[in-house]
Formats: sequence, structure tokens, C-alpha cells
Amino acid sequence: MASIAKPLARPHAEEHEDPREHLMHDPLPRGQMNAMVMEAMHTTSPAFWAVTGVLTLIVLFALGYEWYILIMQGQGMAGVTRPDYWGVFLVNTVFWIGISHAGTFISAILRVLKVESRRPFTRAAELMTTFGLVQAGLSVFMHLGRVWLTYWMFPIPNERRIWPDFHSPLMWDLMAITTYLLCSTMYLILPLIPDLAMARDRTQGGWLKVFYKTLAIGFRGTEGEWKNLTTAMNIFAFAIIPVMFSVHTIVSWDFAMASRPGWSSTVFGPYFVIGALHSGMAAVAIVLFLLRSTMKHYKYFIRPEHFNTMGMLMLMVSMAWAYFYFNDYLVPWYGGDVWDKLVQEYTEKGPVAYLWYIMLFCNIVVPWSLLWNKKWRQTPWLLAIAGLLINVGMYLERYIIIPVGVTINRMPFTWRQYEPRIEVPMTIGTFALFLLLYMLASRLIPLIPVWEVQEGQEAHMLRKFGRTEVSTLSDLE
Amino acid sequence: MSEAITLLAMFKDIEPASEGVEKLQQLGVSDDDMNVISGIPVKHTILGRPSAITYVSRIGLFGAILGMFLGIFFIYGIPYLYPLLVGGQPIFPVPQGFIITFEMTMLGLMGFSFIGMFIDSGFPSYTPKEYTPEVSDGKIALLFSCPSSEQEKFIDALKNVGAESVAPVEARHL
Repeated sequence: MASIAKPLARPHAEEHEDPREHLMHDPLPRGQMNAMVMEAMHTTSPAFWAVTGVLTLIVLFALGYEWYILIMQGQGMAGVTRPDYWGVFLVNTVFWIGISHAGTFISAILRVLKVESRRPFTRAAELMTTFGLVQAGLSVFMHLGRVWLTYWMFPIPNERRIWPDFHSPLMWDLMAITTYLLCSTMYLILPLIPDLAMARDRTQGGWLKVFYKTLAIGFRGTEGEWKNLTTAMNIFAFAIIPVMFSVHTIVSWDFAMASRPGWSSTVFGPYFVIGALHSGMAAVAIVLFLLRSTMKHYKYFIRPEHFNTMGMLMLMVSMAWAYFYFNDYLVPWYGGDVWDKLVQEYTEKGPVAYLWYIMLFCNIVVPWSLLWNKKWRQTPWLLAIAGLLINVGMYLERYIIIPVGVTINRMPFTWRQYEPRIEVPMTIGTFALFLLLYMLASRLIPLIPVWEVQEGQEAHMLRKFGRTEVSTLSDLE
Repeated sequence: MSEAITLLAMFKDIEPASEGVEKLQQLGVSDDDMNVISGIPVKHTILGRPSAITYVSRIGLFGAILGMFLGIFFIYGIPYLYPLLVGGQPIFPVPQGFIITFEMTMLGLMGFSFIGMFIDSGFPSYTPKEYTPEVSDGKIALLFSCPSSEQEKFIDALKNVGAESVAPVEARHL
């Protein structure tokens, strides 16, 4: 019997979607888009300066002053002691490196895969990478304690005639994070040059003119300049992806290479990478919401379709994270090693077990219950809340792995509950510094890559196909 | 022979700009004597222009090789110069070698590609240049040289294919 297609009683909403709701099909003249981005940059409210002032004070006190105290009085000011020598400073390091993965993922992987909806928010994500890595780097130095001896890790001969041991995972970490910071900063700068040239052209006199003129480095947009720029950007887009994977894999090896219960795991590399993407994607959702809500004209550039894209990525990544987490959980559980069992029991039933349950709720229940629905994914504030909760969950995940995990070792007489002390204000300081840098950058550099948006709009067309209009994409690159 | 003059033709869109390029080629302007300035990258085939030569990939490749050797030096050269015996570990291990060598190779590749982009484009450059800010507002500029005695002929030809304006241009500070 032949099947008959019956009309739905209530057609799906997307069947009646207007293609012009998509940024790529709603073009404005380039000059107008430039003007909108410049106006957004140069519009500041008293609230903006109030928040900036508060953040500056927090950074000065929570980061500057407290760090001074830590340096002057030593690591005893922190909660680290036997067996918890690795505490919140390293939790922050791993967390901020995780946040930094979003920029590369969105800007490089989505660029390579030609995902068009990436265009308006690549720079916002790249900026997160650079500023996130700054916090990660600072956190490492906080953990180091005697920061003035940092040069011992550099490959320069010293008076002790001992050079760094490049066989140590900590040295791999130094190399990987340094490479990633440098490369992601260069990758941020490259596509920024044409927009800085635009800002230079639209700025009349004053220190801002000098600022943009200097940073635009004489870019005009000749054929040769574009060719060199796009070639370099293509090299970066492909080359930075394996570097991104390597960074968090190497961070995971700081733990996995140690023969400790709970840490020595062969799946830690990919598990850490997917965890980094989980927190990074969620952080991008928060940033997009904040930009859209606070920056003038950004509602034109950042639309529900972009939140939908982010929501789908967040859902996919949360499923992958759950898979890796279960993988990392099941094998030691099944293996029955007494020390691994003790770590798991301490995590699930110990005095900080509530952190474990909050983590699972935030990392799995929240995304799986909120992000399956397209309408909810397209709701900016809802996605931002999901992003915030996921980041709470991912921070707790790192906390559980590092200070909680390190509590249980093979010497029970050393077991001790870790309690952060000076780490708390300094952690708040890193968050404040991240926000402060981002807020200042939002007033100095165009956060929307206007030339990339225009390039995308030129490539997209609506074509009549049957009784409807469909989106077509020309390969102009 | 009369002196050469530099003209700047402005176009609203890609189509008339590509026709302008074709017209200049018909009038005998060589590809080396013209340049297209645009606010977005435009593939050379769209404009009917020869592909611009870039050395960025080659400079990047050079950097990658340099970085690779630096990484090999770090992981094998340093323990050779200053052996540091860590219980049971080999002085010249292979697996660790991949990690440092990989990181340094990628740093070399991207660092030199970045520098290569600057070198090949002549950046940073703050000398006066022929330019108009309208380019960053989406217009396409066609910059070319022609004999000053034939200036009117070129202006008329380009206006006929849709140029909004064609005028002599002087280098100025950006």
C-alpha cells in the first residue's frame, strides 16, 4: 500500500522561516556596517565606566596586592600543603586554557569547514583565547611562587650549568602554552588588520588616529596584500588546530604521566581536550549574549541563528564530554584497583561529594535538557545561563581532578582536606582581569570582523527553487 | 614620449571593476602597471588578473624547518651538553622528542608565516601611498599608470564601463 503524506496539523516553525532573518541574507552597505561597528566601539555609558572602575579595583586588590602578599610571605599563604601541593592556581590554569580553546575552535575549525555562521563572532572568540591564555599564564606564575626564578625554565645556560629538563611534562607544558599563546595572538592579529585599516580610515585625528594608523601597518587592500594575508590565515587555520589539541593533551599529561590513583589514565588527553571545548563553547555563548546586550547595533550582527549554532555545538560537545568522562570513570571502577576505588569513593561519598553531583548536573543535565530545543537554543539569555552553569560544572571538574583527586594517595597518613585561602581572591582577580581586558578591547578594536561579514554576504544569494526561496553559496574564496 | 601619470578609478561593484580591468588591458596597460584595491579579498580570476605571487608559504616552510631543528636541539642537544640523569629515563628518548619537536615546528611555521606576511607585503609601512578611504567602505579602486597625454582617453573609457570617478591620485599619508 502506497504511503500518503499527510499535512501536519501545526506546521513546524522553521518551515515558515524568513531567510532574511539570517545575517548573510540581510546585507547592509559596507559603509553602514563600518559606521555601526565604529559607533558601538565609541559609545560608552556611565555604567560601562562604573563596571570598568570596579573591575580595576578588584584587579588591583585581588590580583596585584594579594599576589604581592603571596610573593613576600611565601606559598604558606595559600592552602597548599602536603599532600595537596597542587591547588586552585592549577585549577585556574587548566580552566583558562580550556576557555582559550573556543577561539581556535570557532575561528580555525569552523573556517576550515566553511561554517558560514561563524563569521560575525570569530574575533570575539579569538579574543577570548588570547585573554584566557593570559590568565592561564598568570595562574602558572602564581603557582610557581618564586616567580623571579622563572628563567630557570628557559633554555639559557645558568650558573649551575643545569639546563631545563625537556623530558619533563612540565617543560612540554611551557613549550605548548607559549606556542599556543604566541600563535593564537598572531592569529587574532591577522584578520584584524583590515578592520584596523577601516578604523584608521574612519577616525579623524587624535590619539586614536595614531593608534589605528600604527596598528593598521599601512594596509590598503591591494591584491598582493590580500593574497599574503589570506595565505597566512589559511596556514594558521590549518596549523593551529593540531596545536590546540596538543596544548590541552599536554596539560592532561601533567597529571596522567604521574603514577597517582585517579590521574594515571590513557584517556586523559582527549578527555581534557573535549572538556576544554565544553567550557570554551559555553563561554562564547556568555560573551555573545553580553556583547549583543551591551554593544550598540550588535543585534544586527549577532542573531538568534548564531546562538542556535553555538547551542548545537554545546550540546554535541557535552555529549562527547559525557562519553569521555564515563570512559575515564568506568575503567578504574571495573579494574578494581584499591587506590582507584578509594579516589572514586572519596569523590562520590566524601565531604566534597556535593561538588561531584553539581558538576554532573551542570555538565550533563543542563545542556541535555535545555539545548535540544531549537527555540530555546535561539534564546540568548537562556543559552548564556546554560553557558554559565556549564562553566561552573567545568570549573568543578578541574577542582575535583586536582586538589580533591590529589588528597587520596598511596600514603593514607598524609590525607588531608584541601582548603583554598589566598587562592580565592586571586581567582576572583583573574576573572576580573579577563573581563576588564575584554571590556577595554571592546572599545579599542572592532569586535566584529566587518570584512569577513561582507565577504560572506557577497557569497550568499537567495534563489527561487520551486515555490520557495533557498539559500545558495558561491565559492568566492 | 609623455610622462606617466597615476590614475585612480573608483567602482561601486565587482562587475564594473572587472570590466574596467579588461578595458585597461585592451588599451595596452600591462598587468604590472595596474593594481586593484578592495575592502574584501577578491580572487584574481574574478577580476581577470594574474595571480599575485606570494612567498608567505615558502617563508613559513623555512620557519617550520628551522623550528624543527631547534626542537631537536632542545630535546637532544641540551641533554648532550648537560646530561641530567633522571632515574631510569634515557638521555635521548624518542617519544618525548616528538612533542618538543612538534611544538617548535608549529611555532616556526606560524611565526615565520606571520613575519613572512609582513615582509612580503612591505609592512609596516607608514610612507605616503595612493589610496582612498572609500575602499574600506566597500568600493573597488583601480590604480593604474598611463601616459599623461592620453589621460582623457583612459578616463572616458573607464567611465563608459561604469567607473564612478577617475582622477589623478597622489600618494598621501594614510
